Amino acid sequence: MSSRTEATAGGRYIRCPGDHVEGVRSILRQLLVSGSVKAVFSLRSIPGNESFSYSLISDPRLVEEAVPFHPLMPVQAARALSQLTVSRPLEEKVAVIIRPCELRAFIENVKQSQGSVENMFFISCTCPGVGDSGKASGNDSGKSGGGSGYRTACSVCTDFVPGDPADMVLLLEADESPEDTRILLRSEAAASMAEDLTGFEIVQGPSLEQLTRAVARRRSLQRQDFIEKGPSAGSGLEELVSLFAKCIGCRACRQACPLCTCLLCDYETARTIYPPSLIGHEAERRGALRVPPGTLQFHLGRLNHIAPYCTGCGQCSDACPVGIPVADLFIRAGSLVQPALEYHPGRNMEDPTPLSTYRADELEEITD
Amino acid sequence: MRGLVTSPGLPLREALLELAYSALREGYADFVMVPSRGPGDSYSWILAGTPDALTSAEPLPPVMTVQGARALSSAAGEPSSRRILAIMRPCEARAAVEVMKLRQIDHANLTLVTMDCPGVIQLDLYDGAAEPEECDPANLRPACRQCSEFTACGDACIVRSADSNLLLPLTAKGGELASSLGLEEQGSLDEWSKRTEELRALRLGTAEGARTELRQQVAGIGRLSDFFADCIGCRACRTVCPICYCRQCFIDMKDRRSPASSHLDRSRRSGAARLVSDTLLFHIGRMAHMSISCVGCGMCEDACPAGIPVGRLVSMVGAGTSALFDYRAGKDPEEPLPLNTFVEEELHEFED
Repeated sequence: MSSRTEATAGGRYIRCPGDHVEGVRSILRQLLVSGSVKAVFSLRSIPGNESFSYSLISDPRLVEEAVPFHPLMPVQAARALSQLTVSRPLEEKVAVIIRPCELRAFIENVKQSQGSVENMFFISCTCPGVGDSGKASGNDSGKSGGGSGYRTACSVCTDFVPGDPADMVLLLEADESPEDTRILLRSEAAASMAEDLTGFEIVQGPSLEQLTRAVARRRSLQRQDFIEKGPSAGSGLEELVSLFAKCIGCRACRQACPLCTCLLCDYETARTIYPPSLIGHEAERRGALRVPPGTLQFHLGRLNHIAPYCTGCGQCSDACPVGIPVADLFIRAGSLVQPALEYHPGRNMEDPTPLSTYRADELEEITD
Repeated sequence: MRGLVTSPGLPLREALLELAYSALREGYADFVMVPSRGPGDSYSWILAGTPDALTSAEPLPPVMTVQGARALSSAAGEPSSRRILAIMRPCEARAAVEVMKLRQIDHANLTLVTMDCPGVIQLDLYDGAAEPEECDPANLRPACRQCSEFTACGDACIVRSADSNLLLPLTAKGGELASSLGLEEQGSLDEWSKRTEELRALRLGTAEGARTELRQQVAGIGRLSDFFADCIGCRACRTVCPICYCRQCFIDMKDRRSPASSHLDRSRRSGAARLVSDTLLFHIGRMAHMSISCVGCGMCEDACPAGIPVGRLVSMVGAGTSALFDYRAGKDPEEPLPLNTFVEEELHEFED
């Protein structure tokens, strides 16, 4: 079913009373018990301590530890799914609980041969966002699920309705918060799985787009405002130097980014790292040089590599131990670069990735 | 040990700055590597080639943004005729010595000058308001609060004794530095020695107490797993560590990738399995590789966005392995690294 038809015609939902956590757990449990899936990938509350982690759950009794769509992103799910499938795809079916930005990032991974969607059944949601979990906002608030509010990246995200790759979509963020659990059956696989579920009724309903119009409008205004006036709005060299002045070079932003999948980053290679002789030469020429050098080069280089594919999850900002709003810059750059390349990262599997696709005629507006 | 009077009447910070200026002016060094103030209360290392370039130099910044040995390995990673004088904290100088042994810093033309270190404020507790030298002890890095090697490291060290600044030459290079600066008058180290011994005893006690507690906290695989439960896998600990210099870490090797089926098997064995996996393998592996050279600077812990007290764990493990090999990280560039040294007869107590 294409999202376009659904936008006008609405779709089929499964519905059950009660909150989404129990509703989704019930589905997961039934899928595991019936053998329709062999494991469930979900955020899980680790017993014995107060932390959350993505886990692959295969025992139906442990589904009660799953906390589907808990507002926290300790690791970007795409990173975990890429680790799972990068060397060989799944041979058995796995139900994957995943947020829209995570799913889009994973689709990008797959397009770049860093994972496989084979045998994955995606259950996503219309996404309200996740909280900050960084040390800066206090570890306890992170652990309790984003007490300090949503990430900036989430509040300006207009891509909170998942695209075609999602098989099921839980209605979570909506103009009117549903009192029951409603899950759109988007794919044929979802429709046939739903037939075997007990405790749910199948109803016809308006499209997700219809149910989230006001949210979309609000987010869109916030995004526009952010792009124009946000904290990293300046893009001159001086502003960039200031933005990254506190960078300690820990590379957590890169490591946390689901799209930075290179085993060895370009900026760590012998080819790119400045040899000490050159550093000495530059320090002599300029009088002084910051060491190690290349802070801005690294961030701008990463921006250059990632901006066309950035799904705006905000994981880089969240991981930064000194609170640099890295994602603000990436989201802003993405909002300029992606339309120019006519690319919507992760929306589907088919669109060719712009930086690896040759076109004889393009981008005439930026040629002399 | 003798102490030579330097920069009389100046606070320690000014004495260090004066040393930097003199070293460049008198031609003792071609470059001085020293922290420097940047935009928005930021601090970074600079390699300064002229006295003018030292305008924003801040030899005692309130925070450690980059471990000095890490900065030094980028500037002095290969033999060079350029002479560098680095003004760094004692733990940074000790890390630099370890990195020299790992052959990532060439020390032929390098002089390391340290000072009585007041410690540094934890990065996330630094609000930009505190003046250097005015560190609130409650906000210091936990590593600093239990540091007993807070002075007299490197080639020379400037210490405070009865309100005067005394330069301690600790190596032949330190002696050359003293004579090139024309320092001759000796001062009494009595007050410094007494104060240092007292603080050292106090800190050793603090460290021992903290380690006893930590040892309980991580005893057994289950507790160790809980200790790292909040790890987001960002590897900041590894990247900021002055000792972890590998371009590509063992944990990121392609041949360590496992197929989806093996992750599913792992999940079946215990009902559920974490993804991403190998959190413990990474941390234990890192400790196995570098903890014997750990100087306890606390940089890894300060960089951890999840607030895991990883530095205290690594330095606890390091203290254990060092004791076993009777090794003191960063003390003597000539002392061989135990893990690189073949000894036919050793460690019989660990045999079956």
